[in-house]
Formats: sequence, structure tokens, C-alpha cells
Amino acid sequence: MSLKKPSWSLIGIATFLSFVLGLSVGPVPISFFDMSPTDRLILFNLRLPRSLSAFFVGGGLALAGAIFQGLFRNPLADSYLLGVSSGASLGAAAAVVLGLASPVASFAAISFFAFLGSLMALAVVFYLGHGNPGFSIFRLLLSGLGVGLFLSSLVAILMLMAGEELKSLIFFFLGGFASSGWDTTWVSLGFVPLAVIIACYFAPELNVLLLGEETAISSGIHTGRIQLLYAMLAALLTSISVSVAGLIGFVGLIVPHMIRLIFGADHRTLFPLTFFSGGVFLVLCDTAARTIIAPAELPVGIVTSLLGVPIFLYLIGKEHAGYTF
Amino acid sequence: MNRRITIQAQELSFGYENEPVFTNTSFSIGAGELVALIGPNGSGKTTLLRILLGLLQPNAGQVVIDNRRLQAYDPKQLAKTVAYVSQQTGLNFPLTALELVSLGRFPHGSRLSFSSADSLAVRRALEATHSLHLSERTFTTLSGGEQQKVLIARALAQSASILLLDEPTVHLDLFHQLQILSALKRQCVEQQITVLTVLHDVNLISLFADKALLLGSGQLRACGPVAEVINEANIKELLGVDMKAAEDPETGLRFFIPRDPFRSRIDQT
Repeated sequence: MSLKKPSWSLIGIATFLSFVLGLSVGPVPISFFDMSPTDRLILFNLRLPRSLSAFFVGGGLALAGAIFQGLFRNPLADSYLLGVSSGASLGAAAAVVLGLASPVASFAAISFFAFLGSLMALAVVFYLGHGNPGFSIFRLLLSGLGVGLFLSSLVAILMLMAGEELKSLIFFFLGGFASSGWDTTWVSLGFVPLAVIIACYFAPELNVLLLGEETAISSGIHTGRIQLLYAMLAALLTSISVSVAGLIGFVGLIVPHMIRLIFGADHRTLFPLTFFSGGVFLVLCDTAARTIIAPAELPVGIVTSLLGVPIFLYLIGKEHAGYTF
Repeated sequence: MNRRITIQAQELSFGYENEPVFTNTSFSIGAGELVALIGPNGSGKTTLLRILLGLLQPNAGQVVIDNRRLQAYDPKQLAKTVAYVSQQTGLNFPLTALELVSLGRFPHGSRLSFSSADSLAVRRALEATHSLHLSERTFTTLSGGEQQKVLIARALAQSASILLLDEPTVHLDLFHQLQILSALKRQCVEQQITVLTVLHDVNLISLFADKALLLGSGQLRACGPVAEVINEANIKELLGVDMKAAEDPETGLRFFIPRDPFRSRIDQT
């Protein structure tokens, strides 16, 4: 129905190639065909979980952005700009500082508190952004900005209060996969694909919701349930991403926008394509982040912002065919 | 003319926070009728449509659609019976006209496939609104008149027997107003679809509507065939303007020429 049919094999090949690149690039050269035990260790315990984490975080953030944009019917929405990411980082930071994350299930606990934090931020932004009729993007983004700044200050206070946990808190702000191992990858492996499937399943409902709540209700949709479901999914994806990699901006903005420009706005294709492209994008960004100034690493958030901000400004400056703000 | 009753409002009352919008309002509409809803701004026309759609609950009274109480429908069943075209929706995404009209099949469709019956309904809806040639265009790049035709096509694609429209001709040039109302009229005559539409222009009402509902300051002022209820006295009372009636010698339809209410004051000063 859109201009170009999405090519699923192309997406598969891109995913595969990004992983090959992510697995083969690094400070220690590895030969895939003649691996020493050390090579195996580096490959399976360091690079593989790292690439998988980058893939699921990128896909999750991109999908969360696409969900927020569909939910608020505006292409400028994204977990970062709506303050939801800040809510997640406050939750995660609180879990660390208050010692709520027990050593046994520490990462799961951090993720859970990040989820609570993101839901809290989202509830406030939802409440403030809901004008009559429907959501006003100005109210949403302004309240998202305010909530985000406020929560970030709370995180800063928590950091000042933190003693030895300071180091683990700092990484929430930098964003990166340097400390990603299997322990942080399992949570995303479990929850992210589930969220992707649910998001795709209800895509027809969200398509109708693009025409407004009244039209959706008169088409037989329980709009309240659908909105709540998608808000929860986006909050879940955001909080998992923040727990794994800290604050990474603009993935949720750039990727859905690009996909929409090429393949159209139908959520049934937009969601899966956005997820895979977001994953590939962040695997590539992470590879770039650890090679540009090797042996040191750039925080991957810097790479995504460097790419994302110009596109964001371009989006605001230009009223695209099919976009009105 | 004995028509099957499709919409029945029984002693409806509704108000926002102690301020009554209308009280004790009853009327009924038959299959295949095109009914115009007219009244001054703020008289509760949109509110009445929302109640008929089940988007708002009346404080008293009930709505009966096809001999069944509105509350007895589940949302998808109701969507297969009543379709709605709200006032212009702001769409921010690059959907094509065809994609947008296909959304009308939601209450019928299965989640995964788009059947040939779905495609046929979408095609017919696009044809009925003279917008088949717009199919591949991006909705947001269309003109106001073209957008409205596509939005009406979406509602027609819902294959409902009742169509409610909130000011479908507002902001449109005369050509598109006539084209849209004529397309709706054709649906009434050929498909026996019931159309209830908010319409401000009394001349378009005489040209296209079978019946008119006059809604003003808290109650239904009149409800009946256009020739009976749209007259100088009712217009003066409902809208507060002087209009002079005249007859079109060709069709015998009654038309109205407005008088400038400020004219006499200008003359005096």
C-alpha cells in the first residue's frame, strides 16, 4: 500500500551484517575460523552479549519512539523528549542508592524500578499533556521537558548522596554498553521480543487511533485500553533500555521517522521495521563508539546525538509532505 | 411514506454540570432518509451526535438503533451499524487516501488479511465520493474538499446502515459542498442508508434533505419534512435572522434569501 514494499530479506541481511561487524571489530583481532579459548571468551562473553544488548536497546528505543508518536499522533514524540527516559533513570538510580537492588537479582531490580520511574513520569506527562480534544503536542513536549529536567535534578541529588555507588550511577548519564554482559542481556531477551509482538498485534487499532479518539471509538475500539497498553509497552521498552545502557537520545526519533518516509505510516509494517532498523542502527553506533577513539570509548549516546540532533532540527525546520506540526 | 425506523431518540436529556444542553428530546428517523440537523452555534448539535454514537451518556432517556437499545450493542457491532465523520481530524502522518479509507474496514476485518470483500467496499466508497483518483495520494497533501471526501469514504467503507456527520461541508467551496451532499443523497436513495448530518445552509437543506431537526436553546424546536419545518418563521426564531422565502420555478423547491440584519441600523446612522 505504501510506495515501496518493505523487503524483509533486506532487513535480515542488514541485521546479520551488523552483528558480523559488531562481533569482529574490537581492540583484540579475532579470527572466526581458528579461535583460541581467549578468542572464544571475548567473542561469546563480551562481544556477543554487547552486540545483542545494543540491538535490543536500539530496537526497543526506536519502537518506543514509534509507539509514542502513534499514541500522541505526532512525529515529534519520543521517550527522551517526553521525560520518560529521565523517569526510568531516576527509578534505576533510586534502586542503586537505596540499596534496593540486592546482589542476587540486581539487574532485574534496577529494571523494575526503572519501569516504575518511567510510568510515574509518563503519568504526569499524560495528565499535563491531555488537552481538549486529545493530546496537544506543545503541552506534551513542554511538560516532558519540565518533568525530564526535574527528574534529572533528582538524579543529581541522588548522585551527591551516593557514596561508593557513584560510579555505577554516572554510567546512567553517559550511556553505553561497555559493561554489558549476559546478566544484563537476559532481561531484554525476555521482555523486548514480547513487547514487539504485542505492539505489532494491536497495530491496526493504533492505525485507526491516528484519526482521533472519537473516530476510533466509533470504529469499535476500546481506545482507553489501547492507549494504556501502548503507554505501558513504551515505558517498558524505555526502562529496559535505560537499565541496560543509560540515556541514549534520539534513536526513538530518527529511526521511526526514516522508516515512515520510506515505507509509509502503517503501524503494521512501521513497528517491525522500526524495531529491526533501530537495532541495526545502535549496533553500528556502538561499533563506531568503540573504534573512533580506540582504545578509549566514546559514550554511544554521543554518537546517536551527533547524528540525531541535526535530523531533529531538520524535522522541526521543514514541514514535510505528510507532516504538519 | 412508511419507513423502517432506524434511529430513535426517546426523551433524551443532557447537560454539562447543571447547565442543560437539551431536555426531553424525542425524534425518530427512518431508513434511507437524509436528515439535516440545524441550530445556532453551541445549541448541542455535536453533543446530540455524540449521544447517538454512544460517546456520551444521556442523563435521562435512551437511544434505540435498529430496534435495539444503544447500550445493548458491543462496540464492534455498533461500528458495523453506525459510522461517524467527525469535524476535520488533524492527521500528522503520511497515510495515503487508500490506506486511510481502508481503516474503515476495521470492525469487519480480520487482523491479518484484507479480504476481497474489504477491497470491494473500499473501492466502492472511494467511487461513491468521487475520490478514486486520489487513492495513492498522501492524505495531508490533499485540498480541504478532497480530504473531506476521503474522510467520508472511510465512513462509507465501514458499511454501516447509519451515517452521522458533523458539518461535512464546512470550509469547503460550493462545488465540493454540492458534490458531497449529492454523494450522500445517492447513498440514501440507492443503498437505503440513513444519514444524519449537521448542516448550516438552509438552501442546501431544501435541496438535499428529506427532514430537518431544529435544535435551539435547550430543546428540539421542530422535527419534520423540510417543506414543513424550514420556513421564515422557524428560521427567524431558531437562528435570529430574517430570510425571505422564494420558490425556484424549475424545481418548486423553497429557497431563502438572507436580509442584512445591520442594514437598517447603518441607514439610520
